[in-house]
Amino acid sequence: MTERALSDVLEAVFVRCRDLEAPLEDRLKAFTDEVRRLDPDFAATVDALVGRLAEIDAGATAPKVGEPMPRFLLPDEQGRLVRLDDLLGEGPVAIAFHRGHWCPYCRINIDALARAEGEVAAEHRHIAAIVPDRQRFAIWLKSDAKAPFPVLTDMDNGYAMSIGLAISVGDKMKHMMVSSRWDPSVSQGSDNWMLPIPATFIVGTDGIVRARFVDPDYRMRMAIEDLLAALRSAN
Amino acid sequence: MHQIRYFLAVSETLNLTKAAERCNVAQPSLTRAIKALETELGGELLRRERSLSHLTELGQRVLPMLRQCYETALTAKIVAASIRKGETAPLSLAISQTVALRPFTPKLRELSRALPGLQLKLLRGSVSEVAEYLKSGVAELAIAGPLGEAWSRFDAFPLFEERFHLVVSRTHRLARRTSAEFKDLAAETLLIHTRCEMVEALKSRLEANGILDTAAHQVATQEDLLALLKANLGVAIIPVGAMETNGLQRILLKSLNLARRVSVFTVAGRPRAIACATLLNMLRAADWDFDSATEPQRAH
Repeated sequence: MTERALSDVLEAVFVRCRDLEAPLEDRLKAFTDEVRRLDPDFAATVDALVGRLAEIDAGATAPKVGEPMPRFLLPDEQGRLVRLDDLLGEGPVAIAFHRGHWCPYCRINIDALARAEGEVAAEHRHIAAIVPDRQRFAIWLKSDAKAPFPVLTDMDNGYAMSIGLAISVGDKMKHMMVSSRWDPSVSQGSDNWMLPIPATFIVGTDGIVRARFVDPDYRMRMAIEDLLAALRSAN
Repeated sequence: MHQIRYFLAVSETLNLTKAAERCNVAQPSLTRAIKALETELGGELLRRERSLSHLTELGQRVLPMLRQCYETALTAKIVAASIRKGETAPLSLAISQTVALRPFTPKLRELSRALPGLQLKLLRGSVSEVAEYLKSGVAELAIAGPLGEAWSRFDAFPLFEERFHLVVSRTHRLARRTSAEFKDLAAETLLIHTRCEMVEALKSRLEANGILDTAAHQVATQEDLLALLKANLGVAIIPVGAMETNGLQRILLKSLNLARRVSVFTVAGRPRAIACATLLNMLRAADWDFDSATEPQRAH
Protein backbone atom coordinates (compact mmCIF):
# COMPACT_ATOMS: atom_id res chain seq x y z
CA MET A 1 0.00 0.00 0.00
CA THR A 2 1.44 3.34 -0.99
CA GLU A 3 1.26 6.10 1.54
CA ARG A 4 -0.94 8.96 0.49
CA ALA A 5 -0.04 12.55 1.17
CA LEU A 6 -2.13 14.34 3.79
CA SER A 7 -3.42 16.73 1.12
CA ASP A 8 -4.79 13.77 -0.89
CA VAL A 9 -6.42 12.19 2.13
CA LEU A 10 -8.01 15.50 3.05
CA GLU A 11 -9.54 16.27 -0.35
CA ALA A 12 -12.72 14.30 0.41
CA VAL A 13 -12.84 15.85 3.89
CA PHE A 14 -12.49 19.28 2.31
CA VAL A 15 -15.45 18.67 -0.02
CA ARG A 16 -17.60 17.50 2.87
CA CYS A 17 -16.68 20.49 5.07
CA ARG A 18 -17.11 22.97 2.22
CA ASP A 19 -20.59 21.65 1.48
CA LEU A 20 -21.85 21.60 5.09
CA GLU A 21 -25.02 23.61 5.56
CA ALA A 22 -23.45 25.59 8.39
CA PRO A 23 -21.81 28.96 9.09
CA LEU A 24 -18.27 29.43 7.78
CA GLU A 25 -16.66 29.07 11.22
CA ASP A 26 -18.32 25.69 11.73
CA ARG A 27 -17.16 24.47 8.34
CA LEU A 28 -13.59 25.61 9.07
CA LYS A 29 -13.72 24.01 12.51
CA ALA A 30 -14.98 20.72 11.09
CA PHE A 31 -11.96 20.69 8.78
CA THR A 32 -9.55 21.62 11.61
CA ASP A 33 -10.92 18.79 13.74
CA GLU A 34 -10.41 16.26 10.94
CA VAL A 35 -6.79 17.37 10.42
CA ARG A 36 -6.18 16.97 14.14
CA ARG A 37 -7.70 13.49 14.10
CA LEU A 38 -5.90 12.29 10.95
CA ASP A 39 -2.49 13.83 11.60
CA PRO A 40 -1.92 15.04 15.18
CA ASP A 41 1.74 15.87 14.38
CA PHE A 42 0.72 18.22 11.61
CA ALA A 43 -1.88 19.89 13.83
CA ALA A 44 0.71 20.29 16.61
CA THR A 45 3.14 21.97 14.20
CA VAL A 46 0.41 24.37 13.13
CA ASP A 47 -0.38 25.10 16.79
CA ALA A 48 3.29 25.85 17.43
CA LEU A 49 3.48 28.19 14.41
CA VAL A 50 0.29 29.97 15.44
CA GLY A 51 1.56 30.26 19.02
CA ARG A 52 4.81 31.81 17.82
CA LEU A 53 2.94 34.29 15.61
CA ALA A 54 0.59 35.22 18.47
CA GLU A 55 3.58 35.76 20.76
CA ILE A 56 5.04 38.37 18.43
CA ASP A 57 1.63 39.90 17.71
CA ALA A 58 1.90 39.13 13.99
CA GLY A 59 -0.47 41.27 11.95
CA ALA A 60 -0.91 43.84 14.73
CA THR A 61 0.51 46.66 12.59
CA ALA A 62 -1.92 46.05 9.71
CA PRO A 63 -4.31 48.95 8.95
CA LYS A 64 -6.77 49.49 11.77
CA VAL A 65 -10.38 50.68 11.75
CA GLY A 66 -10.36 54.39 10.95
CA GLU A 67 -7.03 54.25 9.12
CA PRO A 68 -6.62 54.46 5.35
CA MET A 69 -6.14 51.20 3.47
CA PRO A 70 -2.83 51.55 1.57
CA ARG A 71 -3.27 51.74 -2.22
CA PHE A 72 -2.33 48.87 -4.52
CA LEU A 73 -2.05 48.15 -8.23
CA LEU A 74 -2.15 44.39 -8.81
CA PRO A 75 -2.92 42.11 -11.76
CA ASP A 76 -6.11 40.05 -11.52
CA GLU A 77 -6.42 36.45 -12.70
CA GLN A 78 -6.80 37.64 -16.32
CA GLY A 79 -3.78 39.92 -16.15
CA ARG A 80 -5.84 43.12 -15.92
CA LEU A 81 -4.38 45.67 -13.55
CA VAL A 82 -6.70 46.58 -10.69
CA ARG A 83 -6.20 49.42 -8.25
CA LEU A 84 -7.95 49.76 -4.92
CA ASP A 85 -9.54 53.01 -6.14
CA ASP A 86 -11.08 51.23 -9.16
CA LEU A 87 -12.80 48.81 -6.79
CA LEU A 88 -13.95 51.60 -4.46
CA GLY A 89 -15.39 53.46 -7.45
CA GLU A 90 -18.24 50.94 -7.41
CA GLY A 91 -18.86 51.00 -3.66
CA PRO A 92 -17.45 49.65 -0.40
CA VAL A 93 -15.22 46.59 -0.77
CA ALA A 94 -14.16 43.65 1.36
CA ILE A 95 -10.48 42.89 0.69
CA ALA A 96 -9.79 39.29 1.68
CA PHE A 97 -6.23 37.96 1.78
CA HIS A 98 -5.79 34.26 1.07
CA ARG A 99 -2.80 31.96 1.36
CA GLY A 100 -3.14 30.16 -1.95
CA HIS A 101 -5.13 27.84 -4.19
CA TRP A 102 -3.65 24.82 -2.37
CA CYS A 103 -4.99 25.83 1.07
CA PRO A 104 -8.23 24.00 2.00
CA TYR A 105 -9.21 26.71 4.52
CA CYS A 106 -8.89 29.34 1.78
CA ARG A 107 -10.94 27.21 -0.58
CA ILE A 108 -13.70 26.87 2.02
CA ASN A 109 -13.47 30.61 2.73
CA ILE A 110 -13.60 31.59 -0.96
CA ASP A 111 -16.62 29.35 -1.43
CA ALA A 112 -18.42 31.21 1.39
CA LEU A 113 -17.31 34.58 -0.01
CA ALA A 114 -18.61 33.67 -3.46
CA ARG A 115 -22.10 33.19 -1.97
CA ALA A 116 -21.77 36.40 0.08
CA GLU A 117 -20.87 38.39 -3.05
CA GLY A 118 -24.14 37.18 -4.61
CA GLU A 119 -26.06 38.69 -1.69
CA VAL A 120 -24.58 42.19 -1.82
CA ALA A 121 -23.46 42.74 -5.43
CA ALA A 122 -26.84 44.30 -6.31
CA GLU A 123 -26.32 46.78 -3.47
CA HIS A 124 -23.03 47.93 -5.06
CA ARG A 125 -20.91 46.29 -2.41
CA HIS A 126 -18.20 43.90 -3.51
CA ILE A 127 -15.46 41.51 -2.51
CA ALA A 128 -11.93 41.09 -3.88
CA ALA A 129 -9.44 38.39 -2.96
CA ILE A 130 -5.66 38.77 -2.88
CA VAL A 131 -3.34 35.74 -3.13
CA PRO A 132 0.42 35.33 -3.60
CA ASP A 133 -0.32 32.78 -6.36
CA ARG A 134 0.41 33.49 -10.01
CA GLN A 135 -2.42 33.86 -12.53
CA ARG A 136 -3.01 30.28 -13.58
CA PHE A 137 -3.39 29.29 -9.93
CA ALA A 138 -5.55 32.34 -9.18
CA ILE A 139 -7.83 31.25 -12.05
CA TRP A 140 -8.00 27.80 -10.56
CA LEU A 141 -8.94 29.12 -7.09
CA LYS A 142 -11.56 31.39 -8.61
CA SER A 143 -13.19 28.71 -10.75
CA ASP A 144 -12.96 26.10 -7.96
CA ALA A 145 -15.38 28.25 -5.96
CA LYS A 146 -17.15 29.82 -8.97
CA ALA A 147 -16.21 33.15 -7.40
CA PRO A 148 -17.66 36.13 -9.30
CA PHE A 149 -15.09 38.56 -7.85
CA PRO A 150 -11.49 39.25 -8.92
CA VAL A 151 -8.62 37.24 -7.48
CA LEU A 152 -5.57 39.49 -7.49
CA THR A 153 -1.95 38.31 -7.57
CA ASP A 154 0.39 39.80 -4.96
CA MET A 155 3.80 38.58 -6.17
CA ASP A 156 6.21 37.74 -3.33
CA ASN A 157 3.53 38.92 -0.87
CA GLY A 158 4.83 42.43 -1.52
CA TYR A 159 1.63 44.30 -0.69
CA ALA A 160 0.84 42.00 2.24
CA MET A 161 4.36 42.51 3.56
CA SER A 162 4.17 46.27 3.21
CA ILE A 163 1.13 46.32 5.52
CA GLY A 164 2.54 43.85 8.03
CA LEU A 165 0.63 40.76 6.93
CA ALA A 166 3.36 38.48 5.58
CA ILE A 167 4.84 35.78 7.77
CA SER A 168 7.60 33.22 7.34
CA VAL A 169 6.31 29.66 7.83
CA GLY A 170 9.62 28.45 9.32
CA ASP A 171 11.64 25.29 8.62
CA LYS A 172 9.52 22.83 10.59
CA MET A 173 6.24 23.86 8.99
CA LYS A 174 7.93 24.01 5.59
CA HIS A 175 9.03 20.38 5.83
CA MET A 176 5.60 19.33 7.06
CA MET A 177 3.95 21.12 4.16
CA VAL A 178 6.30 19.66 1.55
CA SER A 179 5.74 16.10 2.77
CA SER A 180 1.98 16.69 2.86
CA ARG A 181 2.22 18.06 -0.69
CA TRP A 182 1.19 21.61 0.05
CA ASP A 183 4.00 23.46 -1.67
CA PRO A 184 3.33 27.14 -2.35
CA SER A 185 6.68 27.75 -4.06
CA VAL A 186 5.44 26.58 -7.47
CA SER A 187 2.29 28.65 -7.44
CA GLN A 188 4.09 31.69 -5.98
CA GLY A 189 7.02 31.45 -8.40
CA SER A 190 9.23 32.06 -5.36
CA ASP A 191 10.80 29.83 -2.76
CA ASN A 192 10.97 32.21 0.17
CA TRP A 193 8.18 30.38 2.02
CA MET A 194 6.30 33.47 3.06
CA LEU A 195 2.52 33.46 3.37
CA PRO A 196 0.04 36.20 4.10
CA ILE A 197 -2.05 36.21 7.25
CA PRO A 198 -5.51 35.63 5.73
CA ALA A 199 -6.95 38.90 7.00
CA THR A 200 -10.09 40.70 5.78
CA PHE A 201 -10.63 44.46 5.58
CA ILE A 202 -13.89 46.27 4.88
CA VAL A 203 -13.00 49.53 3.12
CA GLY A 204 -15.39 52.44 2.62
CA THR A 205 -15.47 54.43 -0.64
CA ASP A 206 -13.27 57.06 1.05
CA GLY A 207 -10.54 54.42 1.39
CA ILE A 208 -10.88 54.20 5.18
CA VAL A 209 -10.98 50.81 6.92
CA ARG A 210 -14.44 50.28 8.52
CA ALA A 211 -13.89 46.81 9.95
CA ARG A 212 -11.12 44.26 9.96
CA PHE A 213 -10.39 40.69 10.94
CA VAL A 214 -6.74 39.82 11.52
CA ASP A 215 -5.86 36.53 13.19
CA PRO A 216 -2.45 34.87 12.78
CA ASP A 217 -4.28 31.54 13.15
CA TYR A 218 -5.01 30.87 9.48
CA ARG A 219 -7.76 28.43 10.42
CA MET A 220 -9.87 31.38 11.59
CA ARG A 221 -11.56 33.75 9.12
CA MET A 222 -13.92 36.70 9.31
CA ALA A 223 -17.47 35.47 9.91
CA ILE A 224 -19.62 36.01 6.82
CA GLU A 225 -22.38 37.69 8.89
CA ASP A 226 -19.84 40.19 10.27
CA LEU A 227 -18.44 40.81 6.80
CA LEU A 228 -21.90 41.40 5.29
CA ALA A 229 -23.00 43.65 8.17
CA ALA A 230 -19.82 45.75 7.88
CA LEU A 231 -20.11 45.96 4.08
CA ARG A 232 -23.76 47.01 4.32
CA SER A 233 -23.14 49.69 6.93
CA ALA A 234 -20.11 51.10 5.06
CA ASN A 235 -20.48 53.92 2.58
CA MET B 1 8.72 45.32 7.99
CA HIS B 2 10.59 47.57 10.48
CA GLN B 3 11.94 44.42 12.13
CA ILE B 4 13.60 43.42 8.88
CA ARG B 5 14.91 46.94 8.37
CA TYR B 6 16.54 46.88 11.82
CA PHE B 7 18.03 43.46 11.21
CA LEU B 8 19.49 44.58 7.86
CA ALA B 9 21.04 47.60 9.61
CA VAL B 10 22.63 45.32 12.21
CA SER B 11 23.91 42.99 9.49
CA GLU B 12 25.62 45.96 7.84
CA THR B 13 26.99 47.71 10.94
CA LEU B 14 27.48 44.62 13.17
CA ASN B 15 26.88 47.00 16.06
CA LEU B 16 23.57 47.44 17.84
CA THR B 17 24.22 51.05 18.86
CA LYS B 18 25.20 52.11 15.35
CA ALA B 19 22.28 50.18 13.84
CA ALA B 20 19.83 51.90 16.20
CA GLU B 21 21.30 55.29 15.26
CA ARG B 22 21.03 54.53 11.59
CA CYS B 23 17.38 53.48 11.97
CA ASN B 24 16.63 56.42 14.21
CA VAL B 25 15.25 54.32 17.07
CA ALA B 26 16.20 53.68 20.67
CA GLN B 27 18.36 50.60 21.11
CA PRO B 28 15.84 48.72 23.31
CA SER B 29 13.19 48.99 20.55
CA LEU B 30 15.69 47.68 18.02
CA THR B 31 16.61 44.78 20.28
CA ARG B 32 12.93 44.00 20.88
CA ALA B 33 12.19 44.01 17.15
CA ILE B 34 15.07 41.65 16.46
CA LYS B 35 13.89 39.34 19.23
CA ALA B 36 10.44 39.25 17.58
CA LEU B 37 12.04 38.40 14.24
CA GLU B 38 14.02 35.63 15.96
CA THR B 39 10.81 34.25 17.45
CA GLU B 40 9.15 34.31 14.04
CA LEU B 41 12.07 32.61 12.32
CA GLY B 42 12.53 30.15 15.15
CA GLY B 43 16.14 30.77 16.16
CA GLU B 44 18.82 33.28 17.07
CA LEU B 45 19.94 35.57 14.29
CA LEU B 46 22.65 37.44 16.18
CA ARG B 47 25.35 36.69 18.66
CA ARG B 48 25.47 39.79 20.79
CA GLU B 49 28.82 40.92 22.06
CA ARG B 50 29.72 44.16 23.76
CA SER B 51 30.75 46.22 20.78
CA LEU B 52 30.59 43.84 17.88
CA SER B 53 27.69 41.54 17.09
CA HIS B 54 27.81 38.94 14.39
CA LEU B 55 25.27 36.90 12.50
CA THR B 56 24.60 33.30 13.47
CA GLU B 57 24.45 30.59 10.83
CA LEU B 58 20.66 31.08 10.68
CA GLY B 59 21.17 34.83 10.41
CA GLN B 60 23.53 34.37 7.46
CA ARG B 61 21.14 31.93 5.82
CA VAL B 62 18.04 34.14 6.04
CA LEU B 63 19.81 37.40 5.24
CA PRO B 64 19.36 37.27 1.42
CA MET B 65 15.70 36.29 1.81
CA LEU B 66 15.05 39.08 4.31
CA ARG B 67 16.82 41.61 2.12
CA GLN B 68 14.63 40.58 -0.81
CA CYS B 69 11.50 40.75 1.37
CA TYR B 70 12.42 44.22 2.51
CA GLU B 71 12.92 45.43 -1.06
CA THR B 72 9.64 43.83 -2.13
CA ALA B 73 7.72 45.54 0.66
CA LEU B 74 9.48 48.83 0.01
CA THR B 75 8.48 48.58 -3.65
CA ALA B 76 4.83 48.02 -2.67
CA LYS B 77 5.04 51.19 -0.60
CA ILE B 78 6.53 53.14 -3.51
CA VAL B 79 3.69 51.88 -5.71
CA ALA B 80 1.07 52.85 -3.09
CA ALA B 81 2.55 56.33 -2.82
CA SER B 82 2.75 56.93 -6.56
CA ILE B 83 -0.70 55.81 -7.69
CA ARG B 84 -2.03 59.10 -8.96
CA LYS B 85 -3.96 59.36 -12.16
CA GLY B 86 -1.93 60.98 -14.91
CA GLU B 87 1.36 61.19 -13.04
CA THR B 88 4.28 60.45 -15.38
CA ALA B 89 5.63 56.93 -15.01
CA PRO B 90 8.91 56.42 -16.88
CA LEU B 91 10.06 52.90 -17.67
CA SER B 92 13.26 51.86 -19.44
CA LEU B 93 13.17 48.31 -20.71
CA ALA B 94 15.99 46.54 -22.55
CA ILE B 95 15.15 43.53 -24.70
CA SER B 96 17.61 41.17 -26.31
CA GLN B 97 17.40 41.61 -30.06
CA THR B 98 16.64 37.92 -30.54
CA VAL B 99 13.55 38.11 -28.33
CA ALA B 100 10.32 38.97 -30.11
CA LEU B 101 8.37 41.92 -28.69
CA ARG B 102 5.04 40.38 -29.70
CA PRO B 103 4.22 38.38 -26.55
CA PHE B 104 4.92 41.44 -24.40
CA THR B 105 2.87 44.05 -26.24
CA PRO B 106 -0.44 43.10 -24.55
CA LYS B 107 1.26 43.59 -21.17
CA LEU B 108 2.64 46.97 -22.21
CA ARG B 109 -0.79 48.00 -23.50
CA GLU B 110 -2.40 47.03 -20.18
CA LEU B 111 0.32 48.87 -18.26
CA SER B 112 -0.26 52.01 -20.30
CA ARG B 113 -4.02 51.76 -19.71
CA ALA B 114 -3.51 51.55 -15.94
CA LEU B 115 -0.74 54.17 -15.92
CA PRO B 116 -1.71 56.80 -18.49
CA GLY B 117 1.49 58.69 -17.64
CA LEU B 118 3.65 55.79 -18.83
CA GLN B 119 6.72 56.93 -20.75
CA LEU B 120 8.35 53.88 -22.25
CA LYS B 121 11.98 53.78 -23.33
CA LEU B 122 12.61 50.57 -25.25
CA LEU B 123 16.22 49.50 -25.77
CA ARG B 124 17.50 46.69 -27.97
CA GLY B 125 20.89 45.03 -28.01
CA SER B 126 22.93 41.87 -27.81
CA VAL B 127 22.90 40.10 -24.44
CA SER B 128 26.14 41.73 -23.37
CA GLU B 129 24.72 45.15 -24.26
CA VAL B 130 21.51 44.32 -22.41
CA ALA B 131 23.53 43.25 -19.35
CA GLU B 132 25.47 46.49 -19.55
CA TYR B 133 22.26 48.58 -19.79
CA LEU B 134 21.06 46.91 -16.60
CA LYS B 135 24.32 47.25 -14.71
CA SER B 136 24.73 50.91 -15.55
CA GLY B 137 21.12 51.66 -14.67
CA VAL B 138 20.22 52.78 -18.21
CA ALA B 139 17.58 50.02 -18.13
CA GLU B 140 15.47 49.13 -15.08
CA LEU B 141 14.30 45.80 -16.50
CA ALA B 142 15.61 43.47 -19.18
CA ILE B 143 14.08 40.58 -21.07
CA ALA B 144 16.55 38.14 -22.61
CA GLY B 145 17.79 34.59 -22.87
CA PRO B 146 20.65 33.55 -20.56
CA LEU B 147 22.78 36.64 -19.85
CA GLY B 148 25.91 34.48 -19.79
CA GLU B 149 27.34 36.76 -17.18
CA ALA B 150 27.41 36.15 -13.47
CA TRP B 151 26.85 39.24 -11.41
CA SER B 152 25.54 38.68 -7.94
CA ARG B 153 23.15 41.60 -8.19
CA PHE B 154 21.24 40.30 -11.22
CA ASP B 155 17.88 38.85 -10.23
CA ALA B 156 16.51 36.49 -12.88
CA PHE B 157 12.86 35.50 -13.05
CA PRO B 158 12.18 32.80 -15.69
CA LEU B 159 9.21 33.46 -17.97
CA PHE B 160 9.10 30.74 -20.62
CA GLU B 161 11.12 28.36 -22.74
CA GLU B 162 11.47 28.60 -26.50
CA ARG B 163 12.48 25.57 -28.52
CA PHE B 164 14.87 25.89 -31.44
CA HIS B 165 13.56 24.71 -34.80
CA LEU B 166 14.82 24.59 -38.33
CA VAL B 167 13.29 27.52 -40.20
CA VAL B 168 13.25 27.76 -44.01
CA SER B 169 11.58 29.82 -46.70
CA ARG B 170 8.19 28.56 -47.94
CA THR B 171 9.85 28.01 -51.30
CA HIS B 172 12.67 25.89 -49.89
CA ARG B 173 12.96 22.21 -50.88
CA LEU B 174 12.42 21.17 -47.24
CA ALA B 175 9.41 23.43 -46.72
CA ARG B 176 6.86 20.65 -47.08
CA ARG B 177 8.55 18.46 -44.50
CA THR B 178 7.32 18.40 -40.91
CA SER B 179 10.62 17.12 -39.60
CA ALA B 180 14.22 16.88 -40.76
CA GLU B 181 17.48 15.36 -39.61
CA PHE B 182 20.96 16.79 -39.35
CA LYS B 183 22.05 14.93 -42.51
CA ASP B 184 19.43 16.89 -44.49
CA LEU B 185 21.45 20.00 -43.71
CA ALA B 186 24.68 18.75 -45.28
CA ALA B 187 24.04 20.60 -48.54
CA GLU B 188 22.47 23.68 -46.99
CA THR B 189 23.85 27.12 -46.27
CA LEU B 190 23.22 28.02 -42.64
CA LEU B 191 22.38 31.53 -41.52
CA ILE B 192 24.11 32.20 -38.21
CA HIS B 193 23.02 35.05 -35.98
CA THR B 194 26.38 35.94 -34.45
CA ARG B 195 24.89 38.07 -31.67
CA CYS B 196 22.35 35.50 -30.51
CA GLU B 197 22.85 34.55 -26.83
CA MET B 198 22.70 30.87 -27.79
CA VAL B 199 25.17 30.94 -30.70
CA GLU B 200 27.87 28.96 -28.89
CA ALA B 201 25.42 26.32 -27.67
CA LEU B 202 24.07 26.01 -31.21
CA LYS B 203 27.54 25.69 -32.75
CA SER B 204 28.53 22.92 -30.37
CA ARG B 205 25.25 21.15 -31.04
CA LEU B 206 25.94 21.30 -34.78
CA GLU B 207 29.48 19.98 -34.35
CA ALA B 208 28.27 17.17 -32.13
CA ASN B 209 25.96 16.13 -34.95
CA GLY B 210 28.65 16.06 -37.60
CA ILE B 211 28.01 19.45 -39.13
CA LEU B 212 31.49 20.90 -39.03
CA ASP B 213 32.24 23.05 -42.04
CA THR B 214 28.88 23.88 -43.45
CA ALA B 215 28.87 26.99 -45.54
CA ALA B 216 27.35 29.74 -43.45
CA HIS B 217 26.25 33.33 -43.78
CA GLN B 218 26.63 35.50 -40.73
CA VAL B 219 24.15 38.16 -39.74
CA ALA B 220 24.11 40.49 -36.77
CA THR B 221 20.44 41.40 -36.49
CA GLN B 222 17.21 39.45 -36.28
CA GLU B 223 15.73 41.60 -39.04
CA ASP B 224 18.49 40.67 -41.49
CA LEU B 225 18.25 37.02 -40.52
CA LEU B 226 14.53 36.95 -41.35
CA ALA B 227 15.07 38.89 -44.60
CA LEU B 228 17.71 36.43 -45.83
CA LEU B 229 15.57 33.48 -44.75
CA LYS B 230 12.58 34.79 -46.67
CA ALA B 231 14.79 35.41 -49.69
CA ASN B 232 15.87 31.76 -49.47
CA LEU B 233 19.57 32.52 -49.11
CA GLY B 234 19.87 29.85 -46.49
CA VAL B 235 18.23 28.06 -43.56
CA ALA B 236 18.44 28.86 -39.86
CA ILE B 237 18.10 27.11 -36.52
CA ILE B 238 16.42 29.59 -34.22
CA PRO B 239 14.03 29.83 -31.28
CA VAL B 240 10.59 30.33 -32.76
CA GLY B 241 8.25 30.32 -29.75
CA ALA B 242 7.09 33.89 -30.09
CA MET B 243 8.52 34.90 -33.48
CA GLU B 244 6.64 36.30 -36.45
CA THR B 245 7.11 33.63 -39.15
CA ASN B 246 5.09 34.89 -42.13
CA GLY B 247 6.43 33.38 -45.33
CA LEU B 248 8.55 30.93 -43.38
CA GLN B 249 8.17 27.29 -42.44
CA ARG B 250 9.25 25.81 -39.14
CA ILE B 251 10.44 22.22 -39.19
CA LEU B 252 11.24 19.95 -36.26
CA LEU B 253 14.96 19.13 -36.37
CA LYS B 254 15.19 15.66 -34.85
CA SER B 255 17.68 15.13 -32.02
CA LEU B 256 18.45 18.86 -31.83
CA ASN B 257 16.72 19.21 -28.47
CA LEU B 258 17.80 22.79 -27.88
CA ALA B 259 15.79 25.39 -26.03
CA ARG B 260 16.44 28.65 -24.33
CA ARG B 261 14.85 30.13 -21.28
CA VAL B 262 13.62 33.70 -21.62
CA SER B 263 13.74 35.56 -18.31
CA VAL B 264 13.11 39.01 -16.98
CA PHE B 265 16.12 40.47 -15.19
CA THR B 266 16.48 43.24 -12.63
CA VAL B 267 19.21 44.49 -10.36
CA ALA B 268 18.79 43.76 -6.65
CA GLY B 269 19.07 46.65 -4.26
CA ARG B 270 17.77 49.37 -6.56
CA PRO B 271 14.46 51.04 -5.75
CA ARG B 272 11.84 50.20 -8.37
CA ALA B 273 9.49 52.85 -9.64
CA ILE B 274 5.80 52.09 -10.15
CA ALA B 275 5.94 51.20 -13.87
CA CYS B 276 8.96 48.92 -13.46
CA ALA B 277 7.55 47.21 -10.35
CA THR B 278 4.14 46.69 -11.94
CA LEU B 279 5.43 45.34 -15.25
CA LEU B 280 7.75 42.97 -13.40
CA ASN B 281 4.80 41.67 -11.35
CA MET B 282 2.65 41.31 -14.47
CA LEU B 283 5.33 39.38 -16.35
CA ARG B 284 5.99 37.06 -13.42
CA ALA B 285 2.31 36.49 -12.62
CA ALA B 286 1.32 35.87 -16.23
CA ASP B 287 0.43 32.49 -17.63
CA TRP B 288 2.63 32.20 -20.72
CA ASP B 289 1.25 29.95 -23.43
CA PHE B 290 4.59 28.30 -23.89
CA ASP B 291 5.20 28.15 -20.15
CA SER B 292 6.50 24.78 -19.02
CA ALA B 293 5.50 25.21 -15.37
CA THR B 294 3.51 22.44 -13.77
CA GLU B 295 -0.25 22.40 -13.60
CA PRO B 296 -1.99 23.72 -10.48
CA GLN B 297 -1.85 21.23 -7.67
CA ARG B 298 -5.06 19.36 -7.36
CA ALA B 299 -5.47 16.91 -4.56
CA HIS B 300 -7.65 13.98 -5.52
